[in-house]
Amino acid sequence: MTLRLAVGTTAILLVVALPLAWWIASGHGAGRALVQAIVALPLVLPPTVLGFYLLVALGPLSAPGRLLIQIVGHPLAFSFSGLLVGSVIYSLPFAVQPLVSGFSAVDSAYVETAAGLGASPWRTFRSVVLPLARGSLLTSAVLTFTHTVGEFGMVLMLGGNIPGATKTLSISLYDKVQEFNYGAANQTALVLVAFSLVTLVVVYWRSAGRRLVLG
Amino acid sequence: MANLFRPSPPQVVAIYPHMSRLSVQLRHNVGKLQIDVDFELTQPWTILFGPSGSGKTTILRAITGLFEPDFAHIVSYPRLVSPTSTGITLIDTSSGLCLPAHKRGMVIASQKPSLFPHMTVLQNIRFGYPRAASSAEQDRLDKLTETVPKLFRLDHLLHRRPAELSGGETQRVHLARATMAGSIRVLLLDEPFTGLDRALRDELITDLLLWQEESQIPILSVTHDVTEAFQLGAEVIKIAEGRVVQQGPVAEVLAGERERLMDQLNAAKKNPA
Repeated sequence: MTLRLAVGTTAILLVVALPLAWWIASGHGAGRALVQAIVALPLVLPPTVLGFYLLVALGPLSAPGRLLIQIVGHPLAFSFSGLLVGSVIYSLPFAVQPLVSGFSAVDSAYVETAAGLGASPWRTFRSVVLPLARGSLLTSAVLTFTHTVGEFGMVLMLGGNIPGATKTLSISLYDKVQEFNYGAANQTALVLVAFSLVTLVVVYWRSAGRRLVLG
Repeated sequence: MANLFRPSPPQVVAIYPHMSRLSVQLRHNVGKLQIDVDFELTQPWTILFGPSGSGKTTILRAITGLFEPDFAHIVSYPRLVSPTSTGITLIDTSSGLCLPAHKRGMVIASQKPSLFPHMTVLQNIRFGYPRAASSAEQDRLDKLTETVPKLFRLDHLLHRRPAELSGGETQRVHLARATMAGSIRVLLLDEPFTGLDRALRDELITDLLLWQEESQIPILSVTHDVTEAFQLGAEVIKIAEGRVVQQGPVAEVLAGERERLMDQLNAAKKNPA
């Protein structure tokens, strides 16, 4: 469950975050500042606040929620797809921020050169900006993935802890502690720690290796 | 002393009757500098000459389409001008028309080479012409892929990365890449020879002139170097504080600058420091 959610969230977020981050990084102005602030909002808000709003927005209590129910056929709240939507929003800053700094670090001279040579903005992005910022792409994916694995408050509010549908590892850990089942809790916690550690080690190892190769 | 101004072996005197023309009207404020120019490129090689800070680079960038000026009307007239041909408007701010940079064919080689570091030399020079749309195009592309590396003496470097090149090699790849752009209508060079030694400069000028003979593409370059302007023997547009002061053959427009430089050199010869 946790894995499915994390993979789904990371996949969706990369698709959403790439153009968004490129747009934020490729200019400035009040509009971009506002969007950047909204993207960063999940960082400062308690996850429960976000979960609550999403619950209202996706459930039958509000107009957009009712519209969604009509389109999808069932309420998104307390379902896996609802959880996915929540995760995407909650982890958005973790996907977008590394990309924005990665894209901003790409010298604008490369972008201008590419345009001058007749490359469309899309081709420039694909074959110049993205390869030059590939390190931040990896960081973004890993952060999103691990952050989704570890999220709790939002999942509890929005997912409602339904076994087999919306129960993630972090929530099951919470349940086990509530039941004073420390042995099982310990196992779950260990799985989460080991998983995060292994992922991060692999990422740092790889990026260190690349630095060495490039000299 | 006189040979300082003797045009180097390759002389830019050949006039290509069917070469395309470019008409430029431009007004733009950058800080305190007000750029207001109106000129036409009619010769194979034209030089924008002026001191640093006179707006030369800004003019090139505006022509390329790297930013939108306050006012601009730039038209490129195709090579074979018939009485009815009207030319391609690249930008006309008064009618709100503005072609994006990648559709203009105004290929700029900026002062800093900025070769794409993650690509080989071959990938770099092919960047502006990734694929051919038709079989005739394919022939042209094949021919370019064969001749350009030869012309710029890059054959043995094609599979290297930019980080493995010397300064002179980097500059050669930089220019080769610009000349290979498939959409090119005019080649714009922003101080392409600054910081290079005389031998390398002569080499690059020869390369570019040979390329021009083949391609019939006009070149607009920017310099504040009197010697370079005389070496190219090109048409000169003299710029000062954002305005065109004079346009004509180099011997005419830069006669004063040449005098001054000669005097300085003579004085230096008489009183060596």
